[in-house]
Amino acid sequence: MSLTIYGEQLSSRLLIGSALYPSPQVMKQAILASESQVVTLSLKRQNPNEQAGQQIWQYLQEIVSQTNGYLLPNTAGCKTAKEAVTLAKMSREIFQTNWIKLEVIGDDYNLQPDPIELLSAAEQLINDGFKVLPYCTDDLVLCQRLYDLGCQVIMPWASPIGTGKGLMNPYNLETIRLRLPEATLILDAGIGKPSDACLAMEMGYDGVLLNSAVALADNPVMMAKAFAQALKAGEQGYVAGVMEQRQTAHPSTPILDTPFWHQN
Amino acid sequence: MNIHINGQAFTVEHESSITVAAALKLYFITAQQSTFAVALNGDFVGRTDYDNTLVHNGDSLDVLLPIQGG
Repeated sequence: MSLTIYGEQLSSRLLIGSALYPSPQVMKQAILASESQVVTLSLKRQNPNEQAGQQIWQYLQEIVSQTNGYLLPNTAGCKTAKEAVTLAKMSREIFQTNWIKLEVIGDDYNLQPDPIELLSAAEQLINDGFKVLPYCTDDLVLCQRLYDLGCQVIMPWASPIGTGKGLMNPYNLETIRLRLPEATLILDAGIGKPSDACLAMEMGYDGVLLNSAVALADNPVMMAKAFAQALKAGEQGYVAGVMEQRQTAHPSTPILDTPFWHQN
Repeated sequence: MNIHINGQAFTVEHESSITVAAALKLYFITAQQSTFAVALNGDFVGRTDYDNTLVHNGDSLDVLLPIQGG
């Protein structure tokens, strides 16, 4: 039961972020505990003479080496397709990967993706040879458009980034799963609890991408393990086939030979 | 001429333009061994083009390095 992203087989269905941890050491321990093979990271303005960023970069390289994993650079902070395309090209040069987690934000308050700019950026990047993993809202038509453009992986949000509110609109997410059966769907952003991730997997989602839920836990390493287990439980539940809900009660214990039957 | 690198102003005397490679030398104190990528006025400049891409008065360079991200 592995996750395939643009032809690469991964043993874990969890993709994890590298931000907000109490320390680089805890970040490394938590990511390893999560069993994830895909770690997200970003690019920012920094003076190369300052070594703080270099330490994080070294840790991330060690993690990817230990897990046989992959770096997934993002375009966080971009508000236009042009910005996102430029940042993606810069990431490709540094990280030597065509994978890009495409983020184009349209609203500062809830960090909601801008669907117009997102589609434009996705099209430009695909034409330039990128393997695009777009972070998007849970809008079926937008997801369909992204898939039609050539995004094999679609990443609708559960709720706004960093809120931990979990799956705001399960109906939308289930609809996307039903209507795009061939797409690799990864639930991205807003996950708060392991049960949120489990629910996504029970819906048939292919994976979950999260960061704050682990990094901001009281014990990030333990929470990373909890998420690893939650994803496995949810996936097995989906594969095993959940029973259909029924309107009326049905006794679990056989009623034949029930004691005291009709004595009153 | 005046240029900006990561928002920081630099003045270059007696020149109307310099290469990206020369501009980066204004910014780096130590040897350029770090992992970084460059954009000029919002457009990506590949490493192989640092010597043949010119920076003019008023231009802005972004020098980006890896950082944690979600």
